[in-house]
Amino acid sequence: MKIKNLFTMRIFILVLFILISLLAIHPVSDKEGVAIRSVETNSSAAFAGMTVPQNAQPTSYERILEINSQKISSLDDYSRAIEANEEKLVITTDRRTYTLLNQNVGITVDKPASNNILRGLELQGGTRALISPTEKLTEQQYQDLVDTMENRLNVYGIKQLILKRASDFEGNKYIIVELAGATKDEVKELIGKQGKFEAKIGDEIVFNGGEKDVTFVCRNDGTCSGIRSCNEVQGGYQCQFEFQIKLSEAAAERQADVTRNMDVNVSEQGYQYLEKPLDLYLDNNSVDSLNIAADLKGKAARDIVISGPGVGATQEEALEDANDKMKKLQTVLITGALPTSLEIVKLDSISPTLGSTFEKNALTAALFAILAVAVVIFIRYRKLKISLPMIFISLSEALITLGILTMMKYNLDLAAIAGIIAAVGTGVDDQIVITDEILSKESMNWRERYKKAFFIIFIAYLTAVVSMIPLLMAGVGLLKGFALSTIIGVTIGVFVTRPAYAHIIKVLLNE
Amino acid sequence: MNLEKIYDKNYKKLLLIPLILLALRRTGSVIERDVSLKGGISMTIEKEGLNEEEISSFLNSRYDDINVRVLTDLSTRKNIGLIIESSDVEEEQIKGTLREKVEFADEQYSAESYSATFSESFYKQLIMVLVFAFILMALVVAVTFRTFIPSLAVILAAITDIIVTLAIISLFGFQISAGGITAFLLVIGYSIDTDILLTTKLLKRKIGTLYERLGQSIKTGLTMTITSISAVFVGYLFSAASVLKEIFLIIFIALIIDIISTYLGNASILLWYIKKKK
Repeated sequence: MKIKNLFTMRIFILVLFILISLLAIHPVSDKEGVAIRSVETNSSAAFAGMTVPQNAQPTSYERILEINSQKISSLDDYSRAIEANEEKLVITTDRRTYTLLNQNVGITVDKPASNNILRGLELQGGTRALISPTEKLTEQQYQDLVDTMENRLNVYGIKQLILKRASDFEGNKYIIVELAGATKDEVKELIGKQGKFEAKIGDEIVFNGGEKDVTFVCRNDGTCSGIRSCNEVQGGYQCQFEFQIKLSEAAAERQADVTRNMDVNVSEQGYQYLEKPLDLYLDNNSVDSLNIAADLKGKAARDIVISGPGVGATQEEALEDANDKMKKLQTVLITGALPTSLEIVKLDSISPTLGSTFEKNALTAALFAILAVAVVIFIRYRKLKISLPMIFISLSEALITLGILTMMKYNLDLAAIAGIIAAVGTGVDDQIVITDEILSKESMNWRERYKKAFFIIFIAYLTAVVSMIPLLMAGVGLLKGFALSTIIGVTIGVFVTRPAYAHIIKVLLNE
Repeated sequence: MNLEKIYDKNYKKLLLIPLILLALRRTGSVIERDVSLKGGISMTIEKEGLNEEEISSFLNSRYDDINVRVLTDLSTRKNIGLIIESSDVEEEQIKGTLREKVEFADEQYSAESYSATFSESFYKQLIMVLVFAFILMALVVAVTFRTFIPSLAVILAAITDIIVTLAIISLFGFQISAGGITAFLLVIGYSIDTDILLTTKLLKRKIGTLYERLGQSIKTGLTMTITSISAVFVGYLFSAASVLKEIFLIIFIALIIDIISTYLGNASILLWYIKKKK
């Protein structure tokens, strides 16, 4: 009889919401292998037919189970298998088998996800930069800036990134960049700098970075790019990198015009050079100065070799420095300069271990808080029939809020967790109001008591929501997660879970 | 009834307590901002067994005004690292100096940096957010009760909670971060709940005597506040992330103040109002 009374529309809706949230969060226990997070274009993995669909859910990433018949059960297993120097890789995933050359493999892997909740930077570690352009931009320039930046990071090889436009109350525009893998220094170099490349002869600019002037840049190909020499110099070592580029016809013509009337000098070794060299500048700093062979005078040469030095205390450091600089220079030559120079106004880097500490910690803190609530409630009412449903409702509110955030593809951060805790907190308050109204001796029918309780709850709900709305729009959205999860949580509470609670309590107490 | 005796004789005097609290706040007290709101850097080194005092005095012997705190793990209560904050010194400098004293790998190192101008505007905006939120809340309250004095009493209670909490925070010299300011948004929400309950019961209900209704709403309201207090207290004890800790601490203090502002302040004004009307 009693059990039957429980099944009403309110309970049905609550159960439906819980099921949908579980479906969205999709907790899985089968976590074998390593998950394929991204595949580089033009890599052997891509040629073998591996793809990662855009918008794939974390739990639906393809997982590598075996490489060359070796079982892969951790990231270490994976790197060992890749570094084993086998000529061919036979990769078996949970879907099919791929055969590819062990050269420029181009797969990024990660531990398999145990659910679909997207963990924000604070929980998984990584670097976040808040960047502000130093001058006022038009809408078009702003868009170009975001596009160029994204392109630059992609060309550089950073795959897992989030690039968001953001603005604040005062109308300032910002860009938020979040990168899971990159280090802070790389971010500073790659996006904090405008990347204005200029090749000058004397005061004349011959060409700039970007596809308008530079039609091809050789990378990752030893025949036309690489470190050419390393020498001991004063105080350390210096290595010289070199790579080929192809100029557009217009840029080549410009070079021909500038060099047409130049004199020819002869160096000590007897080489003939034009009187002025080709000077390379990156963000107004000199990168290198290249002598121009005399036979190029007045010619529209399209193939040019760019070079520059890397230095370090040891030969290894110099080699690394040269490699880094080459990669960066290649990147800006391909992607061109950003439309304005930039200032990094906020830069966070969170180590992955600190992130996972925070995550585990927030979960336990929330559980303990709910436990504390249950204890107080039990002391007050002395009835498990009240405190157990209350814990159940509080947990469902947290779960449904998490489920909705997951469906919205929101990256869960600490602010959002605080918001969920806050929403659950107001939920407990509301449930106390409901319980006391239902228990009250006032001679009214149940419906009236329910209405009275929900009058109070609804006003409290309205004040909570309106006081969160300004935060949704302010502070470049850094604390948006807080407002968002609070609003979702209290809304679900008032319209779904708390009415269900009122019904459960009514049925359970109506002995 | 006891409650009746206390309130009937003394409600005007009881009202004085929250007013005195309001007046007692240090005049001109300012919000002590942390690096996220005034610019600077915050670095976290995750390594067990670092001595906070030793490192603090070491760093402060080289530079001025460097703030060192301990990062604690909840379950073991063990010191799992240090948080170092500074507004004036460059990150690389401190990192370098620190490396002379402690060894740590890059994986153990996290940092946040904020430019001063950005932080300044961020702070201003958060204050604006707080003001807007307060105005919107006041509007909802005014529209709900449609009477001047009771609405004002609710709003006054919220103001008391915020201002006295701020005063206590600055008295203890806690620095407030961006997360802390948002905690005050929650304070508005939590503080209002009990006031709405009280006002509804006293003004809109007709069953039982005035003091019976007051008694009921105190019982319900105190249960609400005490559960919230115990939840945030446990949350405070068990959180490692300093933002969460700060939010919980602020709400904890505000809820204690809220008991005074609601049941001495708001209740007294309402009783006064109801008696006057009769």
